[in-house]
Formats: sequence, C-alpha cells, structure tokens
Amino acid sequence: MAPGGLVLAAEEFTVREEPYYLPLGDEIELFEAAFEQRIPVLLKGPTGCGKTRFVEYMSWRLGRPMTHISQGGEAPLDDEGPRPFVTVACHEDLTASDLVGRYLLDTDGTRWIDGPLTRAVKTGAICYLDEVVEARKDTTVLIHPLTDYRRLLPIEKLGQVVEAADGFLLVISYNPGYQSALKDLKHSTRQRFISVEFTYPTREQEAEIISHESGVDLAVSIELAKLGEKVRNLKEHGLSEGVSTRLLIYAGRLIERGIEPRRAAQVGVTWALTDDLEVQRSIEEVVTSIFE
Amino acid sequence: MSIAGGLIARNRSRFDGFPEPLLESYESSLRALEPRLTPTQLEAWSRGGLDLMAISLRSWESAAEYFKAGPQLAESTPWDTYEQLAREAGDLTEQSAPLAVSFLRSAPATLTHIGPNHLAQWADFGRRLYKGNWKSSSLAAQFYDAGPDLFSTIRVSHAGRLVLFLDELARHSYELAAACLTSAPEVLGRLEGGDRMPFLTFGVELAQTSWADSRLYFDRGVPLIQRVHGPVRERYLTLAAQVARDHSRSVFQYFEDAAHALGEVEPDDHGPVIELAEQLAPHSAYAAMDFISNAPEVLEKVHIDELAAWQNHGLGILASSKEGGEAYFRLQSSRGEEVLDTLSARVELSKVGDVLRLYAKALTGRNISIHAAAVLAEKGIGWVDEERASTDGTTIYLPEVMELYREKDENFAAVKVFTTHQAARLEFGSFTFSFDRPSTLFEDLRPTIQEAPGANPTTEIERFFDLFPDRTLASDIHKIAEGTRIDSAITRNYAGIRRALTRMQREELARRPEVSELPLRQAFVENLVRVSLDGTDALRWPAAQQDAMSNGISVLQRLSEESASVEDTAEATLRLYQLAMSIKNEREEGEEEWDSLPDMDQESLQLDMSDLGGEGAAMEMGEAQEGDVEYESPQDIDFRGDFKPELVQLLMKLRDDAELGDAGQISPDQLTEEQLKELLEKSAEIDLDTLLEGDLQNTTGMFLSNLLKEAGTPTLDSDAQSDQPLSDLSTGGEEGEEPLAPIVTTYYYDEWDFRAQDYKPRWCAVKEADLEEGEDDFYEDTLKEYAALVAQTRKQFELMKPELFRKIKKLSDGEDIELDPAIEWMIDIRTGVSPSDKVYWRRNKVDRDVAIAFLLDMSASTDEEIARRDQQYDDSDDDPRKYLSWWVTKRRQELAAPPKRIIDLEKEATVLLITALETIGDDYGIYGFSGYGRDNVEFYVLKDFDEQFGETTKKRIDKVTPIRSTRMGPAIRHAIHKLSETDAKVRILVLLSDGRPQDHGYGRDRTEKEYAIHDTKQALNEAKREGITPFALTVDRAGHDYLKTMCEDMGYEVVGDIESLPRRLPALYRSLTE
Repeated sequence: MAPGGLVLAAEEFTVREEPYYLPLGDEIELFEAAFEQRIPVLLKGPTGCGKTRFVEYMSWRLGRPMTHISQGGEAPLDDEGPRPFVTVACHEDLTASDLVGRYLLDTDGTRWIDGPLTRAVKTGAICYLDEVVEARKDTTVLIHPLTDYRRLLPIEKLGQVVEAADGFLLVISYNPGYQSALKDLKHSTRQRFISVEFTYPTREQEAEIISHESGVDLAVSIELAKLGEKVRNLKEHGLSEGVSTRLLIYAGRLIERGIEPRRAAQVGVTWALTDDLEVQRSIEEVVTSIFE
Repeated sequence: MSIAGGLIARNRSRFDGFPEPLLESYESSLRALEPRLTPTQLEAWSRGGLDLMAISLRSWESAAEYFKAGPQLAESTPWDTYEQLAREAGDLTEQSAPLAVSFLRSAPATLTHIGPNHLAQWADFGRRLYKGNWKSSSLAAQFYDAGPDLFSTIRVSHAGRLVLFLDELARHSYELAAACLTSAPEVLGRLEGGDRMPFLTFGVELAQTSWADSRLYFDRGVPLIQRVHGPVRERYLTLAAQVARDHSRSVFQYFEDAAHALGEVEPDDHGPVIELAEQLAPHSAYAAMDFISNAPEVLEKVHIDELAAWQNHGLGILASSKEGGEAYFRLQSSRGEEVLDTLSARVELSKVGDVLRLYAKALTGRNISIHAAAVLAEKGIGWVDEERASTDGTTIYLPEVMELYREKDENFAAVKVFTTHQAARLEFGSFTFSFDRPSTLFEDLRPTIQEAPGANPTTEIERFFDLFPDRTLASDIHKIAEGTRIDSAITRNYAGIRRALTRMQREELARRPEVSELPLRQAFVENLVRVSLDGTDALRWPAAQQDAMSNGISVLQRLSEESASVEDTAEATLRLYQLAMSIKNEREEGEEEWDSLPDMDQESLQLDMSDLGGEGAAMEMGEAQEGDVEYESPQDIDFRGDFKPELVQLLMKLRDDAELGDAGQISPDQLTEEQLKELLEKSAEIDLDTLLEGDLQNTTGMFLSNLLKEAGTPTLDSDAQSDQPLSDLSTGGEEGEEPLAPIVTTYYYDEWDFRAQDYKPRWCAVKEADLEEGEDDFYEDTLKEYAALVAQTRKQFELMKPELFRKIKKLSDGEDIELDPAIEWMIDIRTGVSPSDKVYWRRNKVDRDVAIAFLLDMSASTDEEIARRDQQYDDSDDDPRKYLSWWVTKRRQELAAPPKRIIDLEKEATVLLITALETIGDDYGIYGFSGYGRDNVEFYVLKDFDEQFGETTKKRIDKVTPIRSTRMGPAIRHAIHKLSETDAKVRILVLLSDGRPQDHGYGRDRTEKEYAIHDTKQALNEAKREGITPFALTVDRAGHDYLKTMCEDMGYEVVGDIESLPRRLPALYRSLTE
C-alpha cells in the first residue's frame, strides 16, 4: 500500500495492474458498449458492493488512466509534466469550483489551476464521480453540458468552454438506499446516464470474492457470505444499509490473520454496522449461530 | 353436734338481714366440707366467708359465691388453697364485690386447669385489669369468667401475656379488649402451643402501636400465622413485632401481606427468607417486611440460593440510603430490577423478543413477529398449547418464560434453539410443499398413488395427507421426517448453534419413553424419533424384524442430505408410512430380544434405498389390521414445538385470498365454507375436543370465523351463516356497531423518586390518542384577532430564512479568493512577512434540520385567568364548596368580558407558533397532556411530527381544554421519545404550562411539590442527555418559582401576555435552534 500523501494516492489510481473483479452479470459488456458510444454511465447500488472496483477494473480494461474524484480537498500543487490525477477527500461541500479549478495566489498575482474534472475533460479520461448526490447542486451546471451531445465543460471564472477530448467519459455512482429523499438525484440529471444496477453478489459469488480478497479458505468465506446474506435481511429493520462485501472481506482478513471467527465478525460486521444495541445483539445472535 | 352444726349455730345471728339463701348455702357448704377439713380448718374457712360478708354493703354476694365455691373445689385440694382462696376473695372483695363474685364463681373450674399453685397469679391477672372503674371491672370480671375456657387451652404464662395485651388494649378501648378476650380461648385454641406466646407478644406490640388493628389481628391473624412454616413462625412474629416497635403505621397490613406472601413460598424456604429479612430489620423494619412480601415475586425470577445476593445488594443500598433501600425492597426501583435481572437465570420473552424478532428476520428474510405461545392458543385457530413453540407462517410463537436451566446463558441458548427451529421451517420451506413438484432424492411415488375421486383438497399438503388412510400416523411420521430435515439443515448451516441443539436433542432422548414397552408399530415410530434426534445408539428393536427398522432409518437419514427438500420429506413419509403399516401394532410377547441395531454402513443403506419403492410400481397404502392396539402418537419433542403444516398452508392461502379480495378481485379458487369444514374435520392437526368446548357445529363455526379473522378475510357468504346461527360466543356483529373510539396506545415510563435516588420502573402509563376535533373557528379567530401580530411574526421568521446560506470568510480553501485578505497577502509578501493563506471565502449552507415538540399543559389549573392574579383561588385549600362559590362569583364578574385563561394563552401561542413554523418549514409536533394518577397520563396528539398541518390540526386546537392533573414527568418523557424518533440534528422540546406539576400520588400527599418537581426536573435532564434542548415557556408569573427549580440550567421564559409573544418568539427560536 502507498504511504500517505495526495500525490501517491493519485498514482495508485492510475490502475496499472488488473484489479480483481468478478462479473456478476453483463455489466462489462454494457460498460464497453456505453464507452464506445460515449454514453455516460450511472452506477447504482448499495455501499461496498463493488461499484468503485468495477470502474477501476473497466478503466484498466479500456486501457486508460482514470481520474478518480471522490473526496474534495486541496488542489494539486504541481501543474507540470504528465498529469497527476488527484484524489480529493470527499464531503458534502464539494462545489463546482472544486471540480473545475480555482485561482491560487502567487507572488505576482493569481494563478489558475485546473480542477480534476477539467483535467479529465482535457486529457480524455474516464472520470468517476463517486456518490454524486452528495455534492452541491451547483455541480449539475457542469455535469449537464458534459453529458449530452455537446460534451462541453464551461469554466465560468475563466470565461472559457473546454471541449471534451475524445476518450472522456463521465461515470457517476449513486446509492439510492441511504441518502434521504432530499438528496435524490434530479431527473434532469439522471436521465443523462444509462443506469447499471449493482446488487450484492449471490452467496457463492460473494464467497469467491471474499476468499480471493482476504485469502481465507472457501469454507470460511461461504460462512461469511451467509452472514452477509442474513444480515442484509435486516435492512430497513434496524439497519439502514446492509453489510458490504468490503466489510465481509475485512472480517475474512482478520480471520486469516488468526482472529477467532466470532470475534472477527463482531468487530468486522456487528459493531461496524450499527450502534443500536438491540440490533447489535440480534446480529450477534446470527453470528453466534453461524460461527462455532 | 357436729362441728359444722356448732359453727352454724354460733354464727346464725350474723346472717340476720341477709337474704335467706345465703345462710342456706353457708349451711350446705359447711356440711359438705365437714368430711374434708379438720375442725380448725373448717372454722377458718367459715371465718373467711363471714369476713367477706362484713367487708362492704354488697360483699355478701361474694360471700355467697365463696360458700358455693368451697364444696366445688376438688377433693384433693390442699388446705392451703382454701386459705388462699379466702385471702384472694377478701382482697378482691375489698376492691370490687362483683369482681370477687366472678373470681369465686369460676375459681373451682379454673383451678382444675391451673392447679393450686397458680391461683395467686390468676387472681393477680384479674387485679391488673381492674382500674377502679366499672368498665375495667367488667373486663376483669370477664377475664375471671373466662378462666375455665381459657385455661383449658393455654397455660398461665400465656395468660400473663394475654393480660398484658388486654391491658394495653383497654387503655384505648374496653370494648375492643372485651371482644378480644371473648374470642381469645377460641383463637388461641386454634394455634399450636408453641405459637401462642409469639402470637400474643406481637399482639402486645400491635396494641401498643396501632391498637385499632388488634381486632383484625385476632380475627384474621391465626390463618395468616399458619401460612408461615411452623418452625419459623416465632421468628416471623418477632420480626413483625419489630415493625410495630419501629413504626406505627399500617403494622397489621405489613404483617398480613408478608404472611400471605410466605404462604406462596415453599415452606422449606421460609427459614432463609426470614433470616434474610432479619438482617434487614435493624436498618429498616419496613424493608424487612417488604422483602418478605415480595419474596414470591422475586423467587419467581431467581433461585432461593440467589435470593441472598439480591438481598445483599439491597442491604448495601439500605445502609447508605434508607429511602433508596426501602424502594429497592418494595420493588420500586430500577436498580432492584436490574440486579434481579442479572441474578435471574430465566429468560423472559418480553425482554428478548425484539432481539429474537430481528434474529428470525435475519435468518428468514421475512418480517417475522415474535409472540408468546399463549397468544396463538387464544386465537382459537387450531393451536391449543400455551407453552410450546410454533409458527403460523408469519409469526413465531415461543413460551413466555424459559427456565429450563440454572444459567441465564443456557436458557437463552434454549430459546434460541426454539426460535431457530421455527425460523428454519420458514427458511427451508416446510410450508411451501407442492404436491406436483418432484423430490430431489427419491423416486417420486406421489403420482403413482390413486387419489380419492371427487376430493377437492384446499391445500397442497392436505392433498398429500389425503393419500393416507391413517392420517394421524401419516402426520406423526411427517412431523418426525420434517423435524429431521430441519434439524440437519440447522446443523449444517448454523455451526454455532450445533452445540446447544445437540444438547437439547440429548436431553430429549433422555426423556423418551421406554421403547420395549410400546406396541410394535409405535415402537417403530418411537425409534424414528430417536434417529431424528441423532440417537441411533438409543434404538431398541426386536432383532427378528430388523429389516423394516433399518430400512426406515435409512430412509429417514437421507433427509439429512443437503439437497433434501420438503417434497423429499413427503416421499420419505410415504415410505416410512408403508413400513409402519407393515408392522403390526401389538405388544411383543417378550420372547424376542430387543436389541440395539448393529452398525449399518452407508453402502448397505444405499442398497436398501434402491429396494424401497424403487420398482416404481403403484404403491399400496396399507389398512389397519385386525388385533392391532390402537395407535398412539409419540411423545412430543419439546424444542421442535408444534408443527401444523396443513393449518399454516391453509392460513397462507386464506391470507392470499384476503389480499386478492382487497384488491377487488375474486380469486378463482376462493375457499368455500364446506371445504374448510371438511379440512377441519379430517385434519389430524386439529384436536377439536381441546380446541373449544361445545358442540361440534358451534365449534366449527367459531373456528372458521377465528381462522378467517386471522387471515384478514372479511366474512364468509352471508347465507352460509344464516342457516347456522353462530353461538353467543361469537363476537360477530358487535365490533362494527360500536362508535369509533380513538385509538389509544399505551407507553410505560419510569419515574424518578428523589428520595430513593432511583427510578421507579415502568411506573407511569402514558396513553396516547389523537385529540378530538372541534371547529376551526378558534384558529381562524385567533388569526383574525391577532392579524397584525401574525403578520409581524411571519415577517420575523421570514427574515431568518435568507441566513440559511452564509458566506464564510477567511478560509484556506473555498470557492473564490476574497479581495481584502488577498490584498493583505500581497502586502505581506512584498514586505517579506509570512502571509496568511486564509484568503478564500465559501458559501456555507446552513441546513435547518430542526424538530420541535410543543407540549401543552391541559391540566385543570390552566383554567385560571391570567389578568387578575390577586383574586386567585388559594389551591392549598381543598374544600370543593369554597372553590365552587369562589368560582361562581368570579364567573359572574367575568360574564361581561371573559378574561383570558392560561389555556387560552397557550392556545393562542400555539396558533402563532404554527404560523411561524409553517413559514420557516421546520418539523414540529404539538401535543397536549393531562390525566389523573400514574396509570392514566393522557397524551393528546394535535399534530404529530410526520403529520401535515391542515384542517385537522386547526380543529383539534379547538378542543384543547383544561382537563385534569399535571403529571409532567411522563409527558415529557413521552415527548422525548417522540423527538428521538425524528432524525433531526437540532431537537427542541418546548413545554407550555402554568408551571405547576401536580397529580394524584405525585408526591407524598397533595400539597407536596418536591417529588413532582424533582421528577419533572429529572425528565428534563433526560431530554438533555438525549441531545434535546428543553425549554419551558410559562404563562404564569406565579409559576416562576417552580420553574426555577425545575429548569436550573435550562432555558425558561415567562410570558405574561400574548402580545409579547411574537416579539420574543423569533429571538427565542433563533437562540434555541442555532
């Protein structure tokens, strides 16, 4: 894993090695077709079901560097040389200028720096806006012209319009589950994307994923997948979100490191999911039923 | 002349002036005594009598008795006694002649019981009761009169205590003492010898402290005492006496309650209980008695061995705080309950139900409810057992309490096994049987069997069971087979529960009846049960018929395979049934050896399998044979509970039909009543005899209507019902005729007892209901009346809106560079100073995420007017007449111009608030509260949080009127509950009241405010702990003082008149929400 630091984190996302991805359906073909036609893609699905991994994988598969915008934060300091893609820490205050760019003060005045979206548009990368509804509403101003036939990015502060390079594709993700109704995606926005729905994998598929990602043997990962399936039954009944495959993998890794399965499930699933004591207790009971 | 004659002659003259019979009795007694006494003695005896006569005017009466008594004394009476009697008589006569009369009259009989030695003592007792007045004289006389009776039952020492008691009592009431004395021989007679002394001792204490209870004690005490285990009665009474000594209130009540309670405890446990109570007594006698009184309830939860631990914990509290400890033992403290819960090994469904519900939901993925099994039995839809687990397809029913084991964990594990088994039936499809769906493990026999022509089964499983001539046997086998399948599925899928399950299987095996005593077919079934419990080693079977048994076992064991489905269960049932029918149900004559089966290796099993039904030929269903013993079902398996697939499938079908019916469609295969009846009569799952008493016709009708009600189907064909009127048990039409009552939901809340420094658990019942609707006039009128104010308020609140977006400056990151800091930055750079990088600005959205609850005090005290407080009625005076007259005069004054009452101000304020809140768009709820007593805190909903403001709300405001008392604590707690359910960031609770909490039982007495204020304050503290900002708005200046105490560090505000409200509101609101 890369040490801390923005630049290095960005390096990591230039997907050089093939990420592990287990196709659950025809999503790969769909995405490829969409990419060829430059149709923007919306990925829908619950937390931790593999949306990001999928884009990473597709980005690798389509052989291009990928811009990853998830978290807002500081703009890159360096504008020289090959384009470093920036990972920004995400929050609900992500504004249009965070995406497009801003002026920085310099000794002799101000200096413009491109935001990540601008960079992606200029280089023609796949640009992935994770959890797009979290961002401020003013970002739609940017998304709309980029996602129809125009493929333009207006930069208001510079009075410019950037035409998207050929390889540019906007991919956004969206979790209809936990966001409140207030934060629903507007129709004018959502109808600009084809929508690929992600669900949790089946028990067998998930077991395979867990086993691959965590290194535990298949028997244990089947149990973990079973736990995931059971816990997801509690969604809307005490849990706002089902347990993600990611969490199950973490639990698997702990088990792989020699942590007792019940304990691993407790810290990796039960406590990670909820603070509600009653629900915790119920999940705990499921855990103790499944693991010896 | 005899000595007697000489004496008579000598003394005759002294009888002059006395009635004739006196002399006669003198003469006769002298003659009677002459043979017994020496001349000197006789003379002395005569002198005694004559002296008596001389004492006073009426003393001749006692002399008469003296003469009568002499000859009545026993022959063996020593002379001393005669002398003593004379002495005592003389002494008593000097005090009161009638007293001496009574004494002498009963002396001969009494002496036979007490013996001569105690004569003086006895006389003394009487003297003690005599105080010189006529009432005491008659009591003492009564005492002497009662002598023979009394001493035939009790000993002299007891009498001493009794006299003490009577004496004590007589100080308050001679009548009472006399009554007790009258009943004493009988009461004491009923007691065992050893108990009399303590009984009387307690009596003395009682008489000293609460003498009025003595009569009760004498009347009812004995059976109460007898409830206490013999050897410890004395200690119990001593303890009770201690209460009497330490406190004077309700001594008998404590005595009675505790004795009753002990009666419910095992006699052997009385000793330990009383011993523990004795340890408490030095700290608080009340606590000791309460401890005993509550012992049965506590012992229901904990074992007697653990009682000491519970007591010890309470003792600790008692030592530091008397009130706290007393509340603990009164079972009115949360701490007491917690300790009890921790100690208690038993698991109560009410406590774990929620966890189990989610657990079952997780396992099955369905919305499962959890209820007590008794609920299902009450429904009258086929289940009768109130203790056994079961499921009806949507709900899992469990026993109310689990106390199989001594450890809580083990009991919970048992409940979990129960739940898991029921949930697994749903998860692994026990009720989704389809007749035509092929099985996975067997070659299907179902299609090969001839079905009865013309049969029209309602459910798939019914169709299956229709194949069998002996439905009971088939049902039993099916139950075993499905149980096997489900248990294996559980073991396979839930490794964590395996241990507990295995344990329960083992225990179940240990409980099974002896196989070799059963008739053969039943033994076969019994063996299958054992196999299904994984107890192959517990099989016993005649070696000669080994084939059938091993075939059966191999069939059953196939169901443990992973791919086994409910259809496989059915196929296995067919085969096992056939095997069972091939075995005669008769008892073995004992020639053959019952053996455990030899080990069977898997291969041979597989081989056997192919034999079975493998030929694919049509299957013959056997008929019962001659000479068979009637077949009886095997003993039930506890942890698997009831299994009624036919009923469940029927219910599911009915539910589906009901849903279709709701959608306006009529299902093509809607059930007819005949079908249901048929099913009911033939199904082996329904035991009509135990289901309901009464004739079959009515029972069937009841059953059907229950079933339909359960499934949510409105009614059956109406004509089907008309030809068979339902019995009076039916509740058919009544429900519809009643007027629509408001739906009342009850919530329970703790209450803070500041004396005990602890909560009283589930003390108050808050009943929530929608407030009635009136007219919307009030709302509209208020708006009109305060049109200017309303406009002003609205404007004020609208002004708050633009602030929702706020420009934040001097940020190190933001939307754009801000000019001023940028210039400074430049200057700094140029002058060589290190610049500040905070040059950006950003518009920050301030999310208004506010939920606010308004709680209106609707107590009677809000009926008071506001303006003229000086004329206010002094509410510490309780006389209703005074109040009424005060009220009438006031009313008369007011008729011309009705003054504003507190409640009016509350209502008007509410209207204004609504206007304001609707402007700003915050989420809010409005509630009113009142009530009387802790069981009846009324909580009215004017507008709930998720409700839209509209006509209903306006009309409800109209109905806000002063009702009853003010128990603020529970109302606040309920409002907290309401607020906690919203997910707003800022939560506010505004209490609009006159600032005086007061209710029946809300404090020691009506005038005490301390308790109520502390509880209210505690409730407000709870709000703060929940992250809710409490705020009290009072419309009463006088309330100021209470509020100060209640809202120590919380906000409160006094609003004298509504005019000032709009001015205050926006500022207030802003300060609260930001």
